[in-house]
Amino acid sequence: MSEHDAVDRLTCVLCPVGCELEVGTGPAGGVQVTGNQCDKGVPFAEEEVLRPKRNLATSVPIRGTASRMVSVRLSGPVPREMIFPILTEIAKLRPEAPVRRGQVLIADVLGTGVDVIATRTVLAKADS
Amino acid sequence: MSGPRETCDVAVIGGGPAGLAAALGARRAGAGKVLLLERDRTLGGILNQCVHDGFGLFLYKETISGPEYAERLTEDVLREPIRVATGTMVLDLSPDRVLRVNSREGYRLVEAGAVVLAMGCRERTREMIEIPGTRPAGIFTAGSAQNLVNLQNLRIGNEAVILGSGDIGLIMARRLVFEGVAVKGVFEILPWANGLERNIRQCLMDLRIPLELRSTVVEIRGRDRVESVVVAKVDESLAPVAGTESVIPCDTLLLSVGLIPENELAKKAGVVLSPLTGGAVVDETLMTSIPGIFSCGNVLHIHDVADWASFEGFAAGERAARFAAGERPAGPTIRVSAGPNVRYALPQLVTRGKPGVEWSFRVKRPVRDVAVEVKGLTSGKVYARRKFARLLPSELQKIKVRVAVEEDLEVGCP
Ligand SMILES: Cc1cc2nc3c(=O)[nH]c(=O)nc-3n(C[C@H](O)[C@H](O)[C@H](O)COP(=O)(O)OP(=O)(O)OC[C@H]3O[C@@H](n4cnc5c(N)ncnc54)[C@H](O)[C@@H]3O)c2cc1C
Repeated sequence: MSEHDAVDRLTCVLCPVGCELEVGTGPAGGVQVTGNQCDKGVPFAEEEVLRPKRNLATSVPIRGTASRMVSVRLSGPVPREMIFPILTEIAKLRPEAPVRRGQVLIADVLGTGVDVIATRTVLAKADS
Repeated sequence: MSGPRETCDVAVIGGGPAGLAAALGARRAGAGKVLLLERDRTLGGILNQCVHDGFGLFLYKETISGPEYAERLTEDVLREPIRVATGTMVLDLSPDRVLRVNSREGYRLVEAGAVVLAMGCRERTREMIEIPGTRPAGIFTAGSAQNLVNLQNLRIGNEAVILGSGDIGLIMARRLVFEGVAVKGVFEILPWANGLERNIRQCLMDLRIPLELRSTVVEIRGRDRVESVVVAKVDESLAPVAGTESVIPCDTLLLSVGLIPENELAKKAGVVLSPLTGGAVVDETLMTSIPGIFSCGNVLHIHDVADWASFEGFAAGERAARFAAGERPAGPTIRVSAGPNVRYALPQLVTRGKPGVEWSFRVKRPVRDVAVEVKGLTSGKVYARRKFARLLPSELQKIKVRVAVEEDLEVGCP
């Protein structure tokens, strides 16, 4: 995503100070960060503007139990542009109970190095 | 009152992050018989449907999803000899701490040494009722939409508009896009967004969903199903400005216009409620106006972060255990009110001469570079002062007074 030639504003979330950062285009295609009160603000803004990473959570239907759905997320953030391709992979999942919290449902999804994991335990029987 | 009777030291009503923590807090403070009552079939409260991540940073020092947070806290509870009654609705509470309870086993009475209220909140719908137009299908509160999509796998529509910029609405905007629903925009009547900046960025900007401030839905159109909504800009007094209307075709309208503490039981027991929080008036031990009845979590005041609801729960549970063991309030209280630009400060009462009290507060309007003060109303003395780079109405904040205080106080941004 390279629509960020204009100035972007974001609040640094690394500490409670919450500096308001302004990100503009810098020399050699880089970015220019202003408004940061410490050194950490610059890499924070660079990553958020140039290579934003996101986690992703959804839920998928589960078989073999009374619960209809099991919730899932990624074990860590991935580059933002991978979100929709990964959603397509997750949509193919049809796990069968029992599923344990933390269980890997897709390992190394689309070669990103992160796993799709279950975020709740669903027992095979009717109750809870 | 008749029916089977049961006794316990501490009864906790509600098994969300606040109630689970309260049950644990009561055990840790030595309560023998702790009873946790939850009307739903599972523990965890609203967290079960909050599948997104962003929970647990303070309690577990990592960010996890709502269901994981709920399950971890539930496991801690199940390791203790706490009697957990799910599928059990508390119907009534008396000032002498007798609960009327309905469950699969039938109706019974519970006599408790102390009670912790942890019933959470419900979503506001008043704004919906005030919107003129027809009453077609397709109008949901954001939380009920979250439940239908995340837990029941239902598709709620094809094209959605979201009224209100609360966090649940923002989270649902992203969730609906993930489900293939076109989200046409989020409309907020105030000049600022109500949700966390992180959610504005990740749930709206990432997905190019427009956020329109100072605007609202003025009409809902459609016969059987929503067909469109009319949105308009509002003026300073929040009244729609004629001539600014535009029609947005959509089949779904989500309302994310705030939460209200669910205090029906508290009212039945005669607990004094605050018009500012919608929850009980409490002292620094989280005890309400009825001795032995404590309150924590969203039923006390709305929390944006589940961890804080749990921390309050631990404290309320501990105090309830001590009350059940015979400890009584230390003496008269002073009053604490909300000063300039502060919506509320909690606790509203503090035992006179008690040092080290911490307040939770929210501001009315966003402000930058301000100092918040806790000031004596008689002497004008400033007992605590804390600087903030910025304060937002959506963020619950804290301020602590180290010394003992003998006069009524005000928490404000002078
Ligand atoms: C939709 C939504 C999304 C959120 N997203 C986030 C987020 O991303 N990150 C974050 O940190 N926080 C988030 N929050 C806030 C956080 O979830 C809440 O602060 C927290 O859940 C409050 O916990 P609680 O225990 O007070 O209430 P709840 O979780 O609502 O639990 C209350 C429980 O009491 C039970 N109950 C009520 N009345 C009775 C009765 N009479 N008898 C028996 N049981 C009863 C209910 O069934 C429920 O289980 C969100 C909140 C909502 C509503």
